[in-house]
Amino acid sequence: MSFWEVVEDKGWYFLTTLVGGGPETVLVAAGALAFALVIGLAIAMFRLSGWRLLSAPAVAYIEFFRGTPALVQLFVIYFGLPDVGLQPSPVQAAVIGLGLNGAAYLAEIYRAGIESIHRGQMEAALSLGMTPARAMRSIVLPQAIRTMLPPMTSFAIVLLKDTAIIFSVGVVEVMALARNLVTETLQSAVIYLMAGALYLCVTIPMARFAASLERAQRAWR
Amino acid sequence: MAELPAIYAKHIDRWLPELMYYCLATLGIAGTAFVVAVLIGIAVALCRVSHIGLLRAAAVTYIEAARGLPIVVLLYIVYFVPPQILPGWNWAWFTAFYGAVLGLGVHGGAILAEVFRSGIEALHKGQMEAALSVGMTPAKAMAYIILPQALRIVLPPVANYAIGLLKDTALCSLIGVNELMNDAKSIAFAEYQPMAVFVLVAGLYFAMSYPLSLCVRAMERRMSRGR
Repeated sequence: MSFWEVVEDKGWYFLTTLVGGGPETVLVAAGALAFALVIGLAIAMFRLSGWRLLSAPAVAYIEFFRGTPALVQLFVIYFGLPDVGLQPSPVQAAVIGLGLNGAAYLAEIYRAGIESIHRGQMEAALSLGMTPARAMRSIVLPQAIRTMLPPMTSFAIVLLKDTAIIFSVGVVEVMALARNLVTETLQSAVIYLMAGALYLCVTIPMARFAASLERAQRAWR
Repeated sequence: MAELPAIYAKHIDRWLPELMYYCLATLGIAGTAFVVAVLIGIAVALCRVSHIGLLRAAAVTYIEAARGLPIVVLLYIVYFVPPQILPGWNWAWFTAFYGAVLGLGVHGGAILAEVFRSGIEALHKGQMEAALSVGMTPAKAMAYIILPQALRIVLPPVANYAIGLLKDTALCSLIGVNELMNDAKSIAFAEYQPMAVFVLVAGLYFAMSYPLSLCVRAMERRMSRGR
């Protein structure tokens, strides 16, 4: 059967099956993003605390997680943790693995955003009697958001694409279903191209959105 | 966790030489894919800035598609799709290694094309004209005026890409290339020591990528000082 005959014959079946993996992909991406946003902020605060006991571990964390492949981190969590008596489910392992990995990148985005706000803002807030935490929360971070939003959107795209590796720890998302379909029907050409097209349907509009955010930000400056 | 040192003390003289051998395979994939990506990147960047609309459109489409796809999906497409679309050809030579190099190269080509384009566009045309007007030959102007400036713009992002590429080679294990990650899997599951082996492998990847990223940072500092 030629390529187009396969598309005509099985295309709808392939498409509906692959789309069925979409919620799992989005669930893990969203979970990992939320996880990374929280842990990343904590690490950025440690890093900027000016207290070596906190900043040195934060730097080590960032360097280590950015210096090793996400796949290896995922394997340590999913296959390694049972060695010490913890057995995460595939989805838990994927959310934690991609989340811990993403936190290292987000910490640097937070830091760049916070450092882009003039020090005088923090000093003024402190001189009004705010606590450092309050000043960070209500003065510095709201202004830094503007700088941080475009790189964070780009990061969300990277995270969504990274979910394509989590079939290797047993999460049944789009790529896992594509591999199952290939085992079932041997039509690797149609199936993998279709899976690729599905990813593009999400990542290209997101990339456009990130680019427009960046343009808007540059115009504002 | 407490028994990790004991496990290493027992097995490391067997594991480490084997894993280090496969580090070479990983470096080989990364090096070859880097060359492929640079070649594709230069070609696509030239198309991207050309005056022919069709070439420009093709370049933009390629860049958007290759950057929008997860690398794993790209590897699967490059490795598994062509043999099925052209079943009449001889695909025996197209091993997982070539699939990996080509897949990573196609992905990197799109990233580097944008980097090279920004390098080309950042240079004002007047630079070349000025160099020619003070009597330089075009070759000299290229070597002394244009390239040093273009390199300064392009080198840090290219080096950052190379670091990312080194880590991305771990994904090649998913299409069955024999590299560090694949060997780690076989040791880890054969000896029931996943924690010990994967932590060790993370250390090996770190040992390869961290010196590179220190070099990039030193380079970036030096270049920003030169301004």
